[in-house]
Amino acid sequence: MAEKLLQIKNLKQHFNVGRPNMVKAVDGITFDIYKGETLGLVGESGCGKSTTGRTIIRLYDATDGQVLFEGEDVHGKKSAKELKKFNRKMQMIFQDPYASLNPRMTVADIIAEGIDIHGLAKSKKERMERVYELLETVGLNKEHANRYPHEFSGGQRQRIGIARALAVDPDFIIADEPISALDVSIQAQVVNLMKKLQREKGLTYLFIAHDLSMVKYISDRIGVMYFGKLVELAPAEDLYANPMHPYTQSLLSAIPLPDPETERSRRRKSYDTAVHNYAENEKLEMREITPGHFVYCSEKEYNELKAQYAK
Amino acid sequence: MEKLLEVKNLEVSFQTYGGTVKAVRGVSFDLHKGETLAIVGESGSGKSVTSQSIMKLIPMPPGRISGGQILLNGDDIVPKTEKQMEKIRGKEISMIFQDPMTSLNPTMRVGNQIMEVLIKHQNMTKTDGKNRAVELLRLVGIPMPEKRVNQYPHEFSGGMRQRAMIAIALAANPKLLIADEPTTALDVTIQAQILELMKDLQNKMDTSIIFITHDLGVVANVADRVAVMYAGQIVEMGTVDEIFYDPRHPYTWGLLASMPSLENDDKAELAAIPGTPPDLTNPPKGDAFAARNQYALAIDFEEEPPMFQISETHFAKTWLLHPDAPKVEPPEAVKRRMRQLSSTFENPVLVKEGK
Repeated sequence: MAEKLLQIKNLKQHFNVGRPNMVKAVDGITFDIYKGETLGLVGESGCGKSTTGRTIIRLYDATDGQVLFEGEDVHGKKSAKELKKFNRKMQMIFQDPYASLNPRMTVADIIAEGIDIHGLAKSKKERMERVYELLETVGLNKEHANRYPHEFSGGQRQRIGIARALAVDPDFIIADEPISALDVSIQAQVVNLMKKLQREKGLTYLFIAHDLSMVKYISDRIGVMYFGKLVELAPAEDLYANPMHPYTQSLLSAIPLPDPETERSRRRKSYDTAVHNYAENEKLEMREITPGHFVYCSEKEYNELKAQYAK
Repeated sequence: MEKLLEVKNLEVSFQTYGGTVKAVRGVSFDLHKGETLAIVGESGSGKSVTSQSIMKLIPMPPGRISGGQILLNGDDIVPKTEKQMEKIRGKEISMIFQDPMTSLNPTMRVGNQIMEVLIKHQNMTKTDGKNRAVELLRLVGIPMPEKRVNQYPHEFSGGMRQRAMIAIALAANPKLLIADEPTTALDVTIQAQILELMKDLQNKMDTSIIFITHDLGVVANVADRVAVMYAGQIVEMGTVDEIFYDPRHPYTWGLLASMPSLENDDKAELAAIPGTPPDLTNPPKGDAFAARNQYALAIDFEEEPPMFQISETHFAKTWLLHPDAPKVEPPEAVKRRMRQLSSTFENPVLVKEGK
């Protein structure tokens, strides 16, 4: 496969370290993101998927582990200049299009903030041209530049958020539930826009969501998280066809599908951690069952799964 | 089957600085005993306002029920006073809200919030009320209800709070339960549990449910009948099979086509509905959906389409069903799910008025 853009190695993010209410939000996850792909990250609320995204982009300082972007560590001590370099390459689209735009700034200033900080425009004229171009890219028009966020609908605001992320020509975008707050008919518009931009600009996405059908549609590979751990990682189609980890199976069985007949006959599986019955000293880690399909399991489970799925 | 609720030509408007917003524009439907009706639509389509009107929970002013009737067991509740409504709310009709975090009282123990209903509507004593509250919490699947009954909402998780809300709503054995996006704020696995629970309780208590949601997967799971709302009107209504396997309105097509399906691996672009819903301060002339509709006919911009009847239970409000309309093909994604249903009339019939 293509080259690795991002390598996440044993990343840990703990909050309230050393105090009794310590939370292990992300607890040692390892995965790679390849250039030009979309990696979907799914899981229930509180499983650490958003924290993973935020730690990768250094909104939080990692407790342990490494995030290598093109071979360089994102975390650790950095000069302002080095930080800027990373910030240009990595951008983020947030979940709530209402809270993530400053209501006191015009759309032009919101979009151009990154351009100003990184000094990407030589003159005022060039700056505005760039803003107009970006607005057009995301399906808005020039006249919108001087308005304020409250004048826009949710879908339009999310487009502004995307334009802001694109302003500094990033290679990698973390989209944290970018469509959850939008209406069904608008969700498809935003997803189509994101796919179009990926084709045109060769972007790499980390797409965090809990809507599994949308994640399957947009992603090349999907990672499933449970309680701060990555439990399964596989190509999108493979994950849906052969979910191996019991948690993934339970998650898939819970999604209601827009088809009354399958709904009437469906059986839901519930997940109980007791099914694993791990012994105390068993080593749990991500193991590759079929090519590209990783499951977090013990040696014994690995052998069982291997026997079951390997042809 | 017995009719529990009949809504006839309901109109609700809100007075705002920008002018009068006509949030609900002539909605009619009925609901039978023990049935689940799902109302789907985008935000601003009037689905929540419709359901809140049934409980008369819209703030008046600025809101106003400007026309129509809401018959509960044949008794019109529109002219009822606030005092009379208090006897109906919680007892005849109750409601589950979207956000379990904000709709429980944080300063009251969960048990007391359940007992409140029982003491008011069933004249129970405090001790009886408490015992019943424990029973109800057990019924909705909360472990250790004897302990939980004395806890505060912040000690409950999201799914548990929604269960507690359901317990409150069901405390007085209401005949009608209105669930306004009860699972939107929950995770899929918890959502599945809550839906199972609601269906189970419906079977036990023979309650009718109005289920408001925008998730078509949930609709397919819970509904007997479906009403699709757009811009304050019902544009299509039918049994769940009719809506999913034989949709007739272009807006319903759009909704079904804009969802990616889990089963097929085709990565073609999603068929998004272009544009945004209209501003209901000045509803557009003709069909409100015309501006976003790729199948719009010239007449859609001039005159509002009437209701056409496609089967005993299936209605759609579109000119495309008129005998003179050109034949159109629905989008690919919808055609794949289409199938012939036996109950369909040979030709759509124009509904004169009401129904």
